[in-house]
Amino acid sequence: MNWLVGLWQWVDKRLPVQRAWDTHMGKYYAPKNFNFWYFFGVLSLLVLVNQLVTGIWLTMSYNPSAEGAFASVEYIMRDVDFGWLLRYMHSTGASAFFIVVYLHMFRGMMYGSYKAPRELVWIFGMTIYLVLMAEAFMGYVLPWGQMSYWGAQVIVSLFGAIPGIGEDLVQWIRGDYLISGITLNRFFALHVVALPIVLLALVVMHILALHEVGSNNPDGVEIKKNKDENGIPRDGVPFHPFYTVHDLVGVTVFLFAFCFIMFFMPEMGGFFLEYANFEEANNLKTPTHIAPVWYFTPFYAVLRAVTMQIELGPMVLTAKFLGFIAMAAAIAILFVLPWLDRSKVKSMRYRGHIPRIALIAFASMFVILGYLGVKAPTEGRTLLSQIATAFYFAYFVTMPVWTTTSPEKAKSKVSWVLSGAFAVIFAWMGFDYIGGDVPGLLLGLCFLLAIIFAVLPILAARDKDLPEPTRTQAKGLPGILVAAGFALFVILAVVPIKAVASEGSFNCGAIPCDHIETDMNDKESLQRGAKYFVNYCMGCHSAKYSRYERVADDLGIPHDVMEQNLIFGDQRIGQLMEIAMKPQQAKVWFGVVPPDLTLVARARSPEWLYTYLRNFYKDETRPWGVNNRVFPNVGMPHVLIGPQGLLECGAGPKLNHHGGALRNDVGQVEIDEHCGALKEGKVKGSLSQAEFDEAVYDLVNFLEYVAEPIAVKRQSIGYYVLGFLVILFIFVYFLNREFWRDIH
Amino acid sequence: MSNDAVNKTRRRVLIGATCAVGAVGVVGAAVPFVGSWNPSAKAKAAGAPVKYNLSKVEPGAMVTVEWRGKPVFVVRRTQAALDSLKKVEELGVLLDANSDEPQQPEYAKNPERAINKEFAILLGVCTHLGCAPMYRPDVHAADLGGEKWQGGFFCPCHGSKYDLAGRVYIGVPAPLNLEVPPHRYESDAVVVIGEDQGA
Repeated sequence: MNWLVGLWQWVDKRLPVQRAWDTHMGKYYAPKNFNFWYFFGVLSLLVLVNQLVTGIWLTMSYNPSAEGAFASVEYIMRDVDFGWLLRYMHSTGASAFFIVVYLHMFRGMMYGSYKAPRELVWIFGMTIYLVLMAEAFMGYVLPWGQMSYWGAQVIVSLFGAIPGIGEDLVQWIRGDYLISGITLNRFFALHVVALPIVLLALVVMHILALHEVGSNNPDGVEIKKNKDENGIPRDGVPFHPFYTVHDLVGVTVFLFAFCFIMFFMPEMGGFFLEYANFEEANNLKTPTHIAPVWYFTPFYAVLRAVTMQIELGPMVLTAKFLGFIAMAAAIAILFVLPWLDRSKVKSMRYRGHIPRIALIAFASMFVILGYLGVKAPTEGRTLLSQIATAFYFAYFVTMPVWTTTSPEKAKSKVSWVLSGAFAVIFAWMGFDYIGGDVPGLLLGLCFLLAIIFAVLPILAARDKDLPEPTRTQAKGLPGILVAAGFALFVILAVVPIKAVASEGSFNCGAIPCDHIETDMNDKESLQRGAKYFVNYCMGCHSAKYSRYERVADDLGIPHDVMEQNLIFGDQRIGQLMEIAMKPQQAKVWFGVVPPDLTLVARARSPEWLYTYLRNFYKDETRPWGVNNRVFPNVGMPHVLIGPQGLLECGAGPKLNHHGGALRNDVGQVEIDEHCGALKEGKVKGSLSQAEFDEAVYDLVNFLEYVAEPIAVKRQSIGYYVLGFLVILFIFVYFLNREFWRDIH
Repeated sequence: MSNDAVNKTRRRVLIGATCAVGAVGVVGAAVPFVGSWNPSAKAKAAGAPVKYNLSKVEPGAMVTVEWRGKPVFVVRRTQAALDSLKKVEELGVLLDANSDEPQQPEYAKNPERAINKEFAILLGVCTHLGCAPMYRPDVHAADLGGEKWQGGFFCPCHGSKYDLAGRVYIGVPAPLNLEVPPHRYESDAVVVIGEDQGA
């Protein structure tokens, strides 16, 4: 062992290993009163490492070209051992990154961690956030799905709003006349090399700056001001081992939530992986509903909220340009937060009423903006997004008014102008929408906010901060107050959202979807479905990301049976399920190229497919003599006419938007004479309706399987991982308790 | 003081136990990263066993079949060619005449290094530095040692020589016989290269 010590001393004399360890871990004194909110810093570091490592591994199998990108992602998902897990770790990690970063930022706002002497910590942090948004945006383009493509189109076009140079700038960013493989290539380089380097450098700066000035804490006390005779802060504990064991508890709980989402709901209801992105990019067809990924939506909503243009003599500032400015300003204003907050007190624990309520309202408005950014705009939603946007800016702009320490300054001329301006804006918004198709609640909210901002200087002059303690406290605010604050946040966020939430359209074209439960464990159904797929669909549709051999193995079909009955032509069992029909021929025959069906169940939904395939009806005006109630004027012929027969339009009830029958004033069901229901026609099918439904169910079941063949295994691995994390939690919990038992 | 001692032991046990559980987690987390480097389904499909119909090969001729991106030599040996195998043994010019080195599956460990004597099935990769040897069935070829040359394979890169069963000559750079790939006969005429006999 002696030579090891010698080697260690030799290295340490030449490289400050021990000193670095002491500065940042062993003798870095952190306040001992960290609470729940202080986990999110270490968690962002954890997610960053996850993104770097899984990202490197994904790069090994990804192909950054317009022709190969989408297929290579499916190659990773299907053909590479554990590729699906690496990709889900990366995609879930991207969203998790923003969740922890948003909570980390909120923590900073709540406890005044941006205030002197931590302004640089905040600015480095904000820069990290900015770079992270660029990194996430470019990463989202790489899978080259429809949302990747059209998201890139929209975001890159934003720069076109800049007067004068806009169009040239957009073309320069794209390197082409449209978003193309050239754009993809440069985004790939930035995403995997340039921005990660910048991000890492900024993280180092963020931590160095923090460790120079020391950590803030929920009481906003500077622990360095109170040291014992050895120069050690009385309210501090060495980061290692105390906070390493403490953070392990938070890390384990976080990993549990992370793995739960990753193994059981990796799409997270279309928020983490958008459904439209399971369709390959097509530069000629925009998806019907386009929304950015959830972490951009608050700023996207700000962009859309600006609908007015300003005319300054000959110069016209268009709504497009002003929206861009608003969005940029919404991010930029966060950078100057340390200088907007005039209060001497850091933590919300010792702030007056206005800062507390304003912060809660700010958080609610941010959530509202996030919600609205996902939704298609209506008049009510536009008003709400304008209210929330105005409040977002009002929060920062009037902050000097209600954080100043002197009542005179609170009632100064500047204060009256700042808050008066927002009072006018809110009142003007309200009057503008009177008589419009908006909920009364929102108009009320406008006028309420107008009144509040009109008298804000008077309120601010009366509002006082509480005395700050000199030592950290064992207890925070009373539980009841915290619960009330949280309740206020929920009410302020949910009530306005509910007021504009009504949605009028069906998920399946002209009708509501029929419900089915797919069952990936029903091998017999899946085998029948595979048979139907090969016989009825593969004449025109490929499943070109799937391999015959995988289908045979997963569904329990012996290879020789598969080769004899389900593989046509000279294809081999290891090959992809491609078809002989050329896209050019298909275009001539059908008007459109029949889409590949490997991922259709993920891009649409099993319910949609099940309803669609059963709702063809006779329509002589269409080229193939049939139309579809779910997909009007579809280019596909009724290939299942043999088993189903040809249905015809008949009278049936009109439907309300919940899918129930519409009734007239006397309670009778209103009848749609044209096509309220489908009835049996002259052409009869070989199957009864129940048998046919069963067959379509099998087919849809198979399509659901082939869209994500790993699904069953993914979940079963998930149970083991969650079980392991529970065991790990028990150990880290007791370890943490052991270290902290004497610290109070 | 005794309380402190108890604490220390308990602490050590807890640290050790947590580290052990954590190590299991780290190993588990490494599985997908290590596993993803295995040949993918695409690579496996490309490297799948190859079927070849031997009736297409003329007596005395050689065809090259591609398997896993490498050439596989299939030679239909005439009776004269089979007799030549004994002659080279008698001349004593072979390094491993009895195929003691495991360069062939068990079922091909015989003087002809084949399941069916008539067909030599050999991986066309020189055991010296990986070049593809040439088929030189011309007995007594002047450039290949004249009288001693009984027909076989000659590697142009560094001059290694093999007989018609892929056995390496003495005095050439190659250290081993040519490899016999796993193969099985589906019928008398159809061979599957890449799958073992009896599997």
